[in-house]
This record gives sequence, C-alpha cells and structure tokens, in this order.
Amino acid sequence: MAAGDRLPAVVAAVGTAGCALTALALPGRWPSLLPAGLAGVGGGYGVLVGLHSGVANGAAPAVAAALFAAAELGFWSLERGAARYERPALVRRLLGIAGGAVATALVGSLVLAAASGVSGGVGLEAVGVAAAALTLAAIAFLASRSSV
Amino acid sequence: MTRAATPKLGAYAGLAALGLLGALATRRPELVVLAAPFALSAALGLLLARRPQLDATVELAVDRALEGDELELRVQLQADAGAERVEVLLELPRELVVEDGYNPVLLRLRDGERRDLLFRVRCTRWGGFRVGRIYVRASDAFGLFRHETVLDRRVPLKVYPAEESVRNLLRPLETQVFSGNHVARQKGEGIEFADLRPFVPGDRIRRVNWRASARRGELWVNEHHAERNADVVILLDSFAEVRRGDRTTLDPALRAAASLAARYLRQKDRVGFVAFGGFLNWLLPSTGTSQLYRIVDAMLDTQIVLSYAWKDIDTVPRRTLPPQALVLALTPLLDERSQAALLDLRGRGFDLVVIEISPLSFLSTPEGELAELGHRLWRLRREAVRGRFERAGIPVAVWGDESSLAAALEEVSTYRRQARAVHA
Repeated sequence: MAAGDRLPAVVAAVGTAGCALTALALPGRWPSLLPAGLAGVGGGYGVLVGLHSGVANGAAPAVAAALFAAAELGFWSLERGAARYERPALVRRLLGIAGGAVATALVGSLVLAAASGVSGGVGLEAVGVAAAALTLAAIAFLASRSSV
Repeated sequence: MTRAATPKLGAYAGLAALGLLGALATRRPELVVLAAPFALSAALGLLLARRPQLDATVELAVDRALEGDELELRVQLQADAGAERVEVLLELPRELVVEDGYNPVLLRLRDGERRDLLFRVRCTRWGGFRVGRIYVRASDAFGLFRHETVLDRRVPLKVYPAEESVRNLLRPLETQVFSGNHVARQKGEGIEFADLRPFVPGDRIRRVNWRASARRGELWVNEHHAERNADVVILLDSFAEVRRGDRTTLDPALRAAASLAARYLRQKDRVGFVAFGGFLNWLLPSTGTSQLYRIVDAMLDTQIVLSYAWKDIDTVPRRTLPPQALVLALTPLLDERSQAALLDLRGRGFDLVVIEISPLSFLSTPEGELAELGHRLWRLRREAVRGRFERAGIPVAVWGDESSLAAALEEVSTYRRQARAVHA
C-alpha cells in the first residue's frame, strides 16, 4: 500500500485518538487528559499537512481558531464549582473566547502570509529555531516568576 | 490570598512547545499557526498576572428570628485590586436555606469596585448560628492562576423556635405571694367571690353585701379570692431523642417550652427552665420579657449529650425548683433517669405535669414479624411507664403529630379537674 493510500487512515487514527481522549477528559473531569486530547487532534492535522508537501494549508487559521476555542471551552467545563455566572461575567467570558478565536485566525493568517512570502534556507531555519526557543524560554521564565 | 497555577497554564505551555517543535521538525508553518494562540495566551496571562485584593463585610437585617422566618443577608464585596472572575460562596448552616439569591455566584470586580450581594435566607430550624464565612476564589481573564481565600466575617444569629398555639394554660395548684392572674385559694384583694363574713371596723363600705346584710339584720361583707402569680418550671428532658432526618423529638419539645414560657410570663408568673440530661442547664425562676429571652437563649444551647452517668433530681440546684411550683416536664419518655427523676419530684410533693413528646412519628414502620413484635413490646413498656406515672398522681398527656399542644394541655386540665373531684 502506498503512503498516499495510508494517509487518510493515519489522519483518522490520530484525530480519533485525540477526540477520544478529549471525550474522556471532559466527563471524567481529568484536566491532565485534555491537553493530550487537544495535542492528538492537532497532531492529526499536523500529519495531514506534513504528508502534503508543497504550499501551506489555507485552512490552518480556521483549524487553529477552532482548536483554541475547543481548548478554552474544555478547560471552562473542567473548572470546579457550581457558581452561577452573573450575566455580564458570562457575556465577557464568551466574548473573550470568541475574540481569542478571531485573533487566532488573524494571527494565523499573518503567519501563513509571512511564511509563504519567503523561501527556505539555513539562515531562515536558524531564525525559526531561535524564535521558537525564545518563545518557550519566555513562557518558562514568566511561569517561574509567577509561580507560588 | 493563596495563589496556585491552574492546569491550563501547563497545558497551554506544553501545547505551544509541542506545536513549535513540531513545526521545526516538519518545517510546516501550519503547526506554528496552531501553537501561536496557546503560546500567546500563556505569555499574556503570565505577563498580566497579579494578585487580587478583596475584602467583604456581612450584614444581617436582624440578629434574632423565628423558625420559618425569612431574613435578608447582605454581603458587601470591596475590591482594591479586582479580578476578571470572582467566585463567592457564603457558608451557611444546613438550617438556613437561601430562598433568593445565588450561592455560590461568579461575578467580575473591577479595581476599586464595591458590590452588594443580597441573599434572602429562610430559617428552617431553631438554633444559635454564626453566619458569614465567605470563600472567595478569583481568577484572571486567561484563567492561568487561581487565588483563594476565606474571609471570616461571621455575625451571630439566633433563631428561636416557632410558637405553638396554646389556648388555655394549666392552672398551678398553688400560687405565690405576688399579684398575678391566678385566682388563689387565699382570700384577699380580687374580683372572684369567695365568701361572706360579718363586718369589722376597717372594712370598706363598697364591700358590704347589702342584700345579705338586710336579710341578717347586720352588716356583712363580701370576701374575694386574691389574684396571685405562680411559679412555673419547665423541665426539658434532654437525655435522649429520636431523630429522623432533620427532625428530632427535641424540636417540638423546644417549641412547646418556648410557647409555654412566653404565655406564663405574659401573665406575670415566674418561669424557670431546667434542661435535664447529659448536659445540665438551668435558669432560676423570674418574671418579665428579659427572662423570656434568657430562657429561649438557654434553650438554644440545649443539645442531647450522650451520657451514661446516673443523674437524679438532686443534681439540679435547689433554688431552681421552688416549693409549690408547677413543674411542666417535656419528655419523650425514653430514658430511665428522667423517669426516675420525675417520680422523685412527685414524691417530694411538686405539682408535676408530664407532656410526652411522642417519638412514634419519628420511627419507621417495623418490617418483619420480629421487628413488629419488638415494636409492640416497646410500646407496651411505654404504656407501663405512663401507668406508673398515673398511679403516682402525675398526669401524662401525649403530644404527637396527630394532636396539638393545646389538646394535650386540655387533656391534662381535665385529668386534674377529675382528680380533684375524686379527692373531694
């Protein structure tokens, strides 16, 4: 069987595993399982685009927005407590999630546009690695500074 | 406020790292797009994180209420440094139920904002409570950190037992020396006619019975019964109780005690209170509204304390049980110690009345032949106890779900009237 024939099965398997983990995490109230589920869903998408060489997938911003919204809603449902939301607080939270999704789509579009305008090379890859490392280092630094 | 990172922080940082590393490994910008919102959200959340400063006060519209009353409870929140989401939980005892208002509630507090949360609370059961412990949990807009604190702003609340309707009070056999509402056997100032006697110097002219004087040819005057007060001691048996769910035999006993105390005090009698059980509590007889509050406050402290120590009536201070007092005992007739003490009181000549708080409605229906037999035996033993009391001249009225306190008191009044007629 050719690699192209196996593609739908691999994408479906990874995506299904992610969905299953998410489905387990939400009713079971396991916060540690939810990121694994989200990673699975994202991984499925990653396999899909990874096996398609060539131009960037234009649906990526929408997928990112959906994944982010799903993550926000998932963590919201996992929050403990039976407190009743006051209407303004509820509206603000819903608007925040919607705004985050829209911002994700916009940022994603910008990233895709920037990525499609440049050609590859060692220098560019070095810049990418440095940017990723810097981002992760910044998160780690902020997290350590804000820890209890 | 204690601060803790939520699982979301680790999850977002992990997803961002995974996405960025995947993008580097596969050289696909789409994975950067997937990772970007998680990275940005985590970074912004960490940058903007701060510790909220919240305070609260609790106000009760009243500090005393009756069983079944609804009262207003106001929680005022003050945010020196606000938070996007503040979850407020007001801790309430089981006996206080929120009728109006959301508890817990989640709201947003801006910097410097004051918010009033109004709760309408119904008091379902008597007791002394302290209300106002508030659990606060705040989180930022990104939900990466959770801040928690407990604000102890408790204020006292006393919920008194509801009044039972009482039509006629029991008349004590003996009265005391102070003026009151009971017709005494002694003659003196009053309006109830007692007898006729010849006029003596010093008698008031308005007391002369002209009809009798005309018939007998000399001056005769009317004599009246004096109107005196009485001493009433409410003796609450707190050795044992029967409980079913939230209901216990102590509840009707306390309601009856409070109602009787209020009614006797209203007619100028001196009323005392003894909670006789594992935990002994007493109040010397006195008059007035302040005595009513003292009695009801003492009742709120009453609880069933399991004790195996034998206690007799000698453990009660002598002054608490004045001679010639009417002793009203409220008992479920479950403990031998209280039964012995009541018989002892009667033996010492006290005017004693037993109002039995029937525990039958608190029991589940016996299932099976053996349980039914045991239940019947238990009821027979109770009948035997009542018989012992009646042989000792103590009237026993059973007060259960199917009858009222007024009916039970009426039953005792009838018994006492008939008993007196037999003696006469």
